[in-house]
Amino acid sequence: MIHFERVNRVYGKGTAGTPALREVSLDVAPGAFVTVVGTSGSGKTTMLNIVGGLDTDYDGKVVVAERELKSLGDRQLSRFRNETVGFVFQHFNLLEHLNALQNVTLPAFFSGEDEDQARERAEQVLGRVGLSDKLDKLPGQLSGGQKQRVAIARAIFSRPRLILADEPTGNLDTRTGAQVIELFESLNGDDGLTVVAVTHEEFLFKNAGQAVHLEDGRVMGAAS
Amino acid sequence: MKPGKLAGLISSNLRRNRKNLVFSSVGIVVGISSFVFFIALGNGVKRVVATEIFPVEANRIKVVARTAQFGSMAAGRIIDDEAIGKLGRLTGVKDVYPRMKLAFLATSSLDGRNISPAALGLMAKIPGINRSMVDGVRGIRMWLEIMGNGVDPRLVKGDLVAGEFKDMPEDQPIPVLLSKRMIEIYNTSFAKARSLPQITTMVIPFLPPVPLTLNNSFISHGTRGQPLKTNMKIVGLSHHAIMGGISIPLETARKYNRRFKGEQAAHTYDAAIVEVTSSDYLGRVQQAVRGMGFDIDISERRMAESVGLVVTLVTLGFTLISLIIVGIAAVSIAHTFFMIIYERKREIGLLRAVGATRADIRGIILGEAAFIGVLGGAVGIGLGYGFCRLVDWFVTHFLPDFPFKPESFFTYPAWLFFGAIGFAIMFCALGAFFPAHRAATMDPASALTGR
Repeated sequence: MIHFERVNRVYGKGTAGTPALREVSLDVAPGAFVTVVGTSGSGKTTMLNIVGGLDTDYDGKVVVAERELKSLGDRQLSRFRNETVGFVFQHFNLLEHLNALQNVTLPAFFSGEDEDQARERAEQVLGRVGLSDKLDKLPGQLSGGQKQRVAIARAIFSRPRLILADEPTGNLDTRTGAQVIELFESLNGDDGLTVVAVTHEEFLFKNAGQAVHLEDGRVMGAAS
Repeated sequence: MKPGKLAGLISSNLRRNRKNLVFSSVGIVVGISSFVFFIALGNGVKRVVATEIFPVEANRIKVVARTAQFGSMAAGRIIDDEAIGKLGRLTGVKDVYPRMKLAFLATSSLDGRNISPAALGLMAKIPGINRSMVDGVRGIRMWLEIMGNGVDPRLVKGDLVAGEFKDMPEDQPIPVLLSKRMIEIYNTSFAKARSLPQITTMVIPFLPPVPLTLNNSFISHGTRGQPLKTNMKIVGLSHHAIMGGISIPLETARKYNRRFKGEQAAHTYDAAIVEVTSSDYLGRVQQAVRGMGFDIDISERRMAESVGLVVTLVTLGFTLISLIIVGIAAVSIAHTFFMIIYERKREIGLLRAVGATRADIRGIILGEAAFIGVLGGAVGIGLGYGFCRLVDWFVTHFLPDFPFKPESFFTYPAWLFFGAIGFAIMFCALGAFFPAHRAATMDPASALTGR
């Protein structure tokens, strides 16, 4: 599903540049559940952004879902993000002026999908994350856990093959964090989605099949 | 992104930033309202000049006999029946309307005491004429030297309001037309100062005949033969009537020119109005006319063009000021959008993460700007139009009458409204162009982290 080959990413230019990833090579099989762990500034989020096609300013080769990302233009890359990848962020990144249902259907704005069809599916995915009764609630009316579940519903709305989660439990208490992880496990186990989660709290992801340790931009170890 | 979905996103974004956007669109509203006001005013003034003060008919030219010029010994040809026939046969000429100067002298004397009480009573019933005006008419003691010309009735048939304009038997009043421009000056200054009734198309049918003596003068002994006492009846107002005199039917002028000045005077014209089938022929006909030894009188046209040019230049000046206001508003809009984009950085990153292309982001920002343009333009048009009406109302109710005072100073061509909306959209889009570009080219990964 994911193939990294000698990937380097440097922020800034010339000698003043700060390397974020150094010679990273990595493979993730389809349907895997991978955690990426490491200290702050170790390059975890950078790696996730590259996998998700949000950052293409790297050296090396990155192939995700049979697409070499560097070769894709803006339109193709946007389509890749819309159809193949679902993002979940630490700060939820919900639009405060849209209700839960509208937040979930956001990808449909850019896919050209029929509005009624999108609404129907958004209701389904919100049901899947246990928020059938919160469709018309604004993010401000939801708890942290509920917000993250709306974000997960948005991530799976387009039926992607890959979920990229950046510190998904970072803003949640342990109990709520565990519930969110259960949701990821279910998406991985029941739906066969590939999940890559960046975390500081590795202990929460007991059932992750693969853990990638990053240190100072380098892969220090990948354990299965 | 589908237009419907784009509109949905734009409308929800605008609702969020209502306050900022309303504030920054104030400049657009002010600029567009002044744009509408000045263009409508310029058009209105030009309309008055072109239709009331110096009416110009696009398909007609005035042919006159060439006057002897310094350096040229030969005087031009006179305009006679043969010349009229030749002019009529020129390619592209639709019709020729000859005009004949009265070759004899004439006078008019009016004593208000001689107007019958019945005529004065009838006059008093006309709306707008009060008792003091009727008394003013009774007080008239007027002796006038009359100049005049004969005009082709076909040329003025649209100007008649009281009876026919044709050669009448000698026992009936001679139908006359008065110059619209002359009557406008009479109505707004002369009549007002002397408490006399204004001469309007509504009043003309009720005016009694006025005594007229042909072949007569109070001040000159240049007349031969017996004077002829008759009456004249005003039948209408026309731009084709002579300024400072009377215009009578061409055949009547011919008849009396023959009687008092002989046969040649009955077949000599001082001018001819040549009407072309299309303005495309204008240049060719003018050239042919000059080739025949005649001149084209373009004094009216030149006057209208000069005044029109001044009005256009003044309008352009004010329009430029309006556009500068709108331009400054565009800068304010740019500032607002830069601010909004800074605030929405994470949101833009998210939209990119869920599949928005650069073009989508650019479309959203420019769409918001265009919407502000439509809204600001519409409000500006409403405000400008309202201000125009207010000025008209003020002028009607508070300013004294003056010559050529129009009912409205403003003309609103359809393009003005579309143009105003177009300008508003264009300037808003211009203002939002760089912010939209910045938003579209923002690195999505950095935007998501707020970096």
